[in-house]
Amino acid sequence: MNLWLIPIFPLLGFLLNGLIGKRLAKPVISIIAVGSVAASFAFVLFTLSQLMPFSAAYTEHYYTWFQSGFLNVGVDFTVDRLTAIMLLVVTGVGLLIHTYALGYMDHEGGFYRFFSYLNLFMFFMLVLVLSSNLLVLFVGWEGVGLCSYLLVGFYFTEKFASDAANKAFIVNRIGDFGFMLGMLLLVIHFHTLDFGKLALAAAHAPVESAIGALTAITLLLFVGATGKSAQIPLYVWLPDAMAGPTPVSALIHAATMVTAGVYMIARMAFLYDHTPIAMHVVAVIGLLTAVFAATIGITQYDIKKVFAYSTVSQLGYMFLGVGLGAYSAGVFHLMTHAFFKALLFLGAGSVIHGLEGEQDLRHMGGLRKYMPITCYTLAAASLAISGFPFTSGFFSKDAILSAAFEKEPWMFWVGAITAGVTAFYVFRAFFMAFFGRYRGHHHPHESPLVMTGPLMVLAVLSLGGGFLSVPKWLAPTFPLSESENMTPMIISVIFGLCGIALAWLMYVNKPSLAESAKTAAGPLYTLVYNKYYIDEIYSAIIVKPLELFSKFVLWKGVDDTVIDKGAVNGLGHLVRGWGNLFRLFQSGSIRNYATWVLAGSLLIIFVLGLVGGAQ
Amino acid sequence: MNLLAILLLLPLAGFFITMASPRESKVPYLVALATTLITFFLSLGLIGPAGADAAHFSSVIDAPWITSPNFHINLHMGVDGISLWLVILTTFLLPIAVWMSESMIKDRPKSFFALLLLFEFGLIGVFTALDLFVFYLFWEVALVPMYIMVGAWGSGKRGPAAVKFFVYTMFGSVLMLASLLYLLSLTGTTDYIGILTAFSTGHLTLTSQQQLLIFLGFFMAFAVKVPIFPFHTWLPNTYTQAPMPATFLLAAIMSKMGTYGLLRFSLTMSPGGAQRCAPWIAILAIIGIIYGALIALMQTNVKRLIAYSSISHLGFIVLGIFAFNQQGADGAVYQMLAHGLSTGALFLLAGYLEQRRGSLEIADLGGIATPAPAFATVFLITLFASVGLPTLCNFIGEFLVLQGAAIAHFTWAAWAAVGVILSAGYMLWMYQRVFLGKTSESTESMPDLASRDWVPVVPLIALMIWLGCYTQSFMPFISSATNNILEQTQMNNTYQVRSGSKELAEARHAR
Amino acid sequence: MPANFVPAASDYLRLAPEIALTIFGILIMLLEAVAKGKRTYLAYISLIGIAAAFLLNLAAYSDPGPAFQHMIVVDAYATFFRALVLVVGFLCILASISYLDREGAQGGEYYALILFSLVGQCTLATSADLIMVFIGLEISSIATYILAGYLRDDRRNNEAALKYFLLGSFATGFLLYGVAWIFGMVGSTNLDAIRVALESNSGSPRILQVIAVAAALIFVGLGFKVSIAPFQMWAPDVYQGAAAPVSAFMSAGPKAAAFAVFFRIFMTSFRPMEDRWIVLVWGCALATMLIGNFAALLQSNVKRLLGYSSIAHAGYVLVALTAASEVGTAAAMFYLASYALMNIGAFAIISHIAARHERFVKIEDLAGLGRRQPVLAALFALFVFSLIGVPLTGGFFGKFYVFEAALHSNLVWLTVLGLVNSAIAAFYYLRIIVAIYMHEPGEATAEIGAPAPGLNLAIWASAIGVLVLGIFPSALLKFASISAAAFK
Repeated sequence: MNLWLIPIFPLLGFLLNGLIGKRLAKPVISIIAVGSVAASFAFVLFTLSQLMPFSAAYTEHYYTWFQSGFLNVGVDFTVDRLTAIMLLVVTGVGLLIHTYALGYMDHEGGFYRFFSYLNLFMFFMLVLVLSSNLLVLFVGWEGVGLCSYLLVGFYFTEKFASDAANKAFIVNRIGDFGFMLGMLLLVIHFHTLDFGKLALAAAHAPVESAIGALTAITLLLFVGATGKSAQIPLYVWLPDAMAGPTPVSALIHAATMVTAGVYMIARMAFLYDHTPIAMHVVAVIGLLTAVFAATIGITQYDIKKVFAYSTVSQLGYMFLGVGLGAYSAGVFHLMTHAFFKALLFLGAGSVIHGLEGEQDLRHMGGLRKYMPITCYTLAAASLAISGFPFTSGFFSKDAILSAAFEKEPWMFWVGAITAGVTAFYVFRAFFMAFFGRYRGHHHPHESPLVMTGPLMVLAVLSLGGGFLSVPKWLAPTFPLSESENMTPMIISVIFGLCGIALAWLMYVNKPSLAESAKTAAGPLYTLVYNKYYIDEIYSAIIVKPLELFSKFVLWKGVDDTVIDKGAVNGLGHLVRGWGNLFRLFQSGSIRNYATWVLAGSLLIIFVLGLVGGAQ
Repeated sequence: MNLLAILLLLPLAGFFITMASPRESKVPYLVALATTLITFFLSLGLIGPAGADAAHFSSVIDAPWITSPNFHINLHMGVDGISLWLVILTTFLLPIAVWMSESMIKDRPKSFFALLLLFEFGLIGVFTALDLFVFYLFWEVALVPMYIMVGAWGSGKRGPAAVKFFVYTMFGSVLMLASLLYLLSLTGTTDYIGILTAFSTGHLTLTSQQQLLIFLGFFMAFAVKVPIFPFHTWLPNTYTQAPMPATFLLAAIMSKMGTYGLLRFSLTMSPGGAQRCAPWIAILAIIGIIYGALIALMQTNVKRLIAYSSISHLGFIVLGIFAFNQQGADGAVYQMLAHGLSTGALFLLAGYLEQRRGSLEIADLGGIATPAPAFATVFLITLFASVGLPTLCNFIGEFLVLQGAAIAHFTWAAWAAVGVILSAGYMLWMYQRVFLGKTSESTESMPDLASRDWVPVVPLIALMIWLGCYTQSFMPFISSATNNILEQTQMNNTYQVRSGSKELAEARHAR
Repeated sequence: MPANFVPAASDYLRLAPEIALTIFGILIMLLEAVAKGKRTYLAYISLIGIAAAFLLNLAAYSDPGPAFQHMIVVDAYATFFRALVLVVGFLCILASISYLDREGAQGGEYYALILFSLVGQCTLATSADLIMVFIGLEISSIATYILAGYLRDDRRNNEAALKYFLLGSFATGFLLYGVAWIFGMVGSTNLDAIRVALESNSGSPRILQVIAVAAALIFVGLGFKVSIAPFQMWAPDVYQGAAAPVSAFMSAGPKAAAFAVFFRIFMTSFRPMEDRWIVLVWGCALATMLIGNFAALLQSNVKRLLGYSSIAHAGYVLVALTAASEVGTAAAMFYLASYALMNIGAFAIISHIAARHERFVKIEDLAGLGRRQPVLAALFALFVFSLIGVPLTGGFFGKFYVFEAALHSNLVWLTVLGLVNSAIAAFYYLRIIVAIYMHEPGEATAEIGAPAPGLNLAIWASAIGVLVLGIFPSALLKFASISAAAFK
């Protein structure tokens, strides 16, 4: 059993395409790129079949990365039930999206570059989920960040793209700051970063005494999660990240990378269980993000922006889930979300592709008849995300909300309403794109099979994915909460349906309503439409002051003036000044010198003779 | 004949041969290249003996040199786990410097190559000296050629920059000399091992007062050389005005002279003083980390930006050393190697940039990734190495340093980690403005890396990845050596605590 | 003891070097009178004379001891300084030949004067009696005064000579006065006798005090010769004014000899009252270093700059005296030797660059020497780095040894201040390096040729000397410390 084979295929794909891709023909590149992912998907299936029934976690040790004092970090991979899900999602959805991208990127420049980056991403993502200690996980964590940077900035000649890329990486770095400190504290308290050992230690730890440290650790790690998984206050990078090609948005910024935070918390559940405060913080932040992002989603016109905010919002749900201790629910939603959100993005991509890059909903409409497959698959996705009964989203969202209903009813209500809002804005987008009459000026056409194929597969998953019950699968790790209470389910479904109905009313039945609602909302609308001016606020209170401070106070002020010109050169001038003083004695006139000699001699005679060497 | 002796004599011989070789020809270049390459391959031979027991010194030279009625100085040199890698780093980077110079130094190349070899001689000496006097000697020997390289081949206001560099360092050096003489007058020897044994056997005890004086003397010299904030103001000008190969060496190796000295001497020669000052120095280091990064953020010249970024990175090394624990020390040493590779590579690539565009002002650049994709990629890898991306060399160093700092004082780590955020900021911002975006008419025809340019790049990147992914092939040597030093420090220090200044007073009277 | 008025043969042997020098000097004068046309050969004769004196010096050391009723004494210490000044003389003559040719002032009296001045210096080195000290000082000085003004029709030469002469004789007056006082108090001018007297003298602070005043007067006289603060004024003017080779000679030979006797007197005669003078010397040492280095910072004339630097170096030697120990004395001896070599080297090179009538003596005139004459430039750099005190040069080891001695006597602060001084000194020395290597060639270096063989020999010899002292100092150190042991 060689787990290392799973990530190695994409790595090879990356190396091949990256190093010699320039000289390869498109078909070859495509085969390498998709083939490598397919290979690791196949190998994942094989591995999992081998490992059934997952009685215990299966670990492989490859080599010691480094050993310093008591700290020993090994490069080890582990597969347990949680990993299994992640592996399937990553390789499976990854495979679909790679395939789709073949069509989408067909007439884009830098074909080989794109796929080598995409493969590299797969590699790091797989390392992230396979790792059996926090530091190797961090390797994947940073690695996917790097790929996100590269892919968001794929169109690097465009300023907005490279800006978005920088923003993505730097904001993530802020999160990693917390993650890093969390790891440092862990090492101080447990002398290891190995999940197995940590779990053991945590189990036997005198929790009450160490509660402060544990809370600090879990919160710091969560800071990392807010960066990677775009939660308040660090979500700002994700909407901009839509500057990347759409398959990237689907794979990295919807299905896989952004869920790493959720995965990490589920992975560290054994710590979070000890720290109610941290758990509460996670849940609250998650919920807030869900609401906040959803509201923004209502007002956007860029189809990808809408889905981006919806992603942020859905991630909020997942954190709500894990924050409430319903880890399996969170992971469940992670999976279903991977299906339907990937589908939403790919569908959007297909639309954009069909309209030669048009992304503004206002220039769409009536696309139903031009691109039927896209339309119906997107419909499936929209239903799923709205929690329409028996679609995948329905089950996972229900799992989270019912958990909330038990623990924190108020959270449930907020969540339920948000579900309604979600349904509304998703269908708003859907209707604006596919219903009414066509408002654009391109010639819409359906995408090729290589793109629609994956759409259809994902549609099936979005609709039926809910029947793969993750909570049951994870039961050995995260015990099921035995609640047969139907109320939360019914309530959330009602909210969802209302949302859909409202969207239908405003954007299909009476489009005028939308305008009047907009005017009615007035300033509130502009506020939301401008994303609550969060970016502007950040730049005003953090970025600009920092720049000015660095430039004028530190560089020009302290460094140039105070230290260099002041202290250092000042000292030099002082010395020269003395030099000048001494030079004054050198008048050059003998009489003068003689006087000095005389004076000096008297001084010496005085000191030596009369004072007696100043004894 | 002792391998270490050969390693010292080779560059020296090369120096004279280069001097003697005809001026207008390829001979000096070939001689220099051959010498440095041979030195490198031979230096790998040090690994074997050192591997046997990296905590102590192998391939030792110990020859009586200066005998005077009241002191003896032996030419005492050797290699332990720390010196080993620093020597190899030196011998590895020197051929690259020669390679660079061949295309970048058009004026009086012969003398330049000669100076490079002299510089190598000095550096190998510095990293292997086991006698304070010998150490000081090589310390200065390494300074002079660098000074001349900066001054004679530099650009812009090179003269003043060079003088500032020299005098600044000189001030530090004389204070070290003072400490050295003071130790000599107290112990009657300048032998590193000798003094350590004198400590541990109790033949020598220093009052905390004396320890402080001795420590400060050494510290000033090293602080200037590293440099530690606020003694760093010679660096930006020197780095910027120096010719690229010199900058390459300054940043990659010469800065390590200081950090090496801190670890090897200032900790062991006056443990009490070191531990007394540790908190203050750590704070200076942290200030340096953040301060350098913030200023780098606003630079408009690539070379200057990297220069300030070095101040930030070197802060990590110092912080690690003064964390006084295994992780910190290991991280510091590892960071020395990593920083040597990554920053060295950055300057090498900046050199290519300068060759192609004739300027390193960010304003004159932009959009280079389009005409020169390979160049852009290589630069990006190096850049991510230096911002500490896992799987590349700097990460391990930074992580361990932070770990060490956290163990010592968690707040130190918290502040230092801010530097990690900022590094991403200034580097990526610089990359965006230089390589990304639309090309300007000045950059659209920028040639990509020629096969010749790849020669030094490939090994550098290979090593960055190796250090980042398979740390264990280097770390054990380092650990055992640092562990040894830390034990020494602890032991000596505890000894200081036990013994009052009484014996010393007697010793004073005896004299 | 019954006075024996017929000196023994051994006495003559012990005085042989001086005798030889005198003979050669007179010989040259005579030849000069009859010489026709080119007089360069006189230089070679004088070189032979010095070589002979050198050998005789070694011969004399084979049988050390006092001579002429303890007027002089030949011991390791004396031999060391005799050898040193002879080497200095030799190198300076080598360096002078081409210079005098260029100035069209080739003449026997120049060489004769150097020989006579050497006679005086050797006498100083050997003198065991204050009278001899005075005589030696006068012989040496008078010759040097004339040398300083050797180029009759050069205004600068004349001024230098006049200053040197007037101030010099003024100072010598102090010395003589001091000697008289001593004779009055002790009834002898013999150095050992004075020491004995001081040791035997118990109580009676009056006497002590008077002797102290006498000591002060002698201190002034000698202090002037070695140009220590507060008697350093003359040095820059004279070194700048005199011909470059002469400046080289003055800054090396007479200075070394004067220091030799300085140490001999204070380490023997006045040793018993060292607690009185150490503080004074401490102050003078510091003041000398400070004034020398600080004032040098702003000089643009290389010769003047080296003048100030020679003051600073005198300060370092005084640090060794402050240590008031055998180690200190040995350190001073080593220091003076290495200083003499590097200074002669530097002045010799300047004399070459200065060109006819010393037109080019500004620092910027050195610009671009590194391009035109790489070898010469490298040697100059070597001397300058030695003056700074960079390892592997005699200058560094001299400093190292001096400050080691100082710390040995627990002079912590003087050491620190001294070392800081040496760092400040780097400032002005580096301006020379900057000019040589970092500026484009100017008028001076544009058509500069290679130095003449004699000059070249002098430069190379001093360069090798500097390196040998820097890399293999042990032999000289050993000899120095043996000699220093004489002062017990």
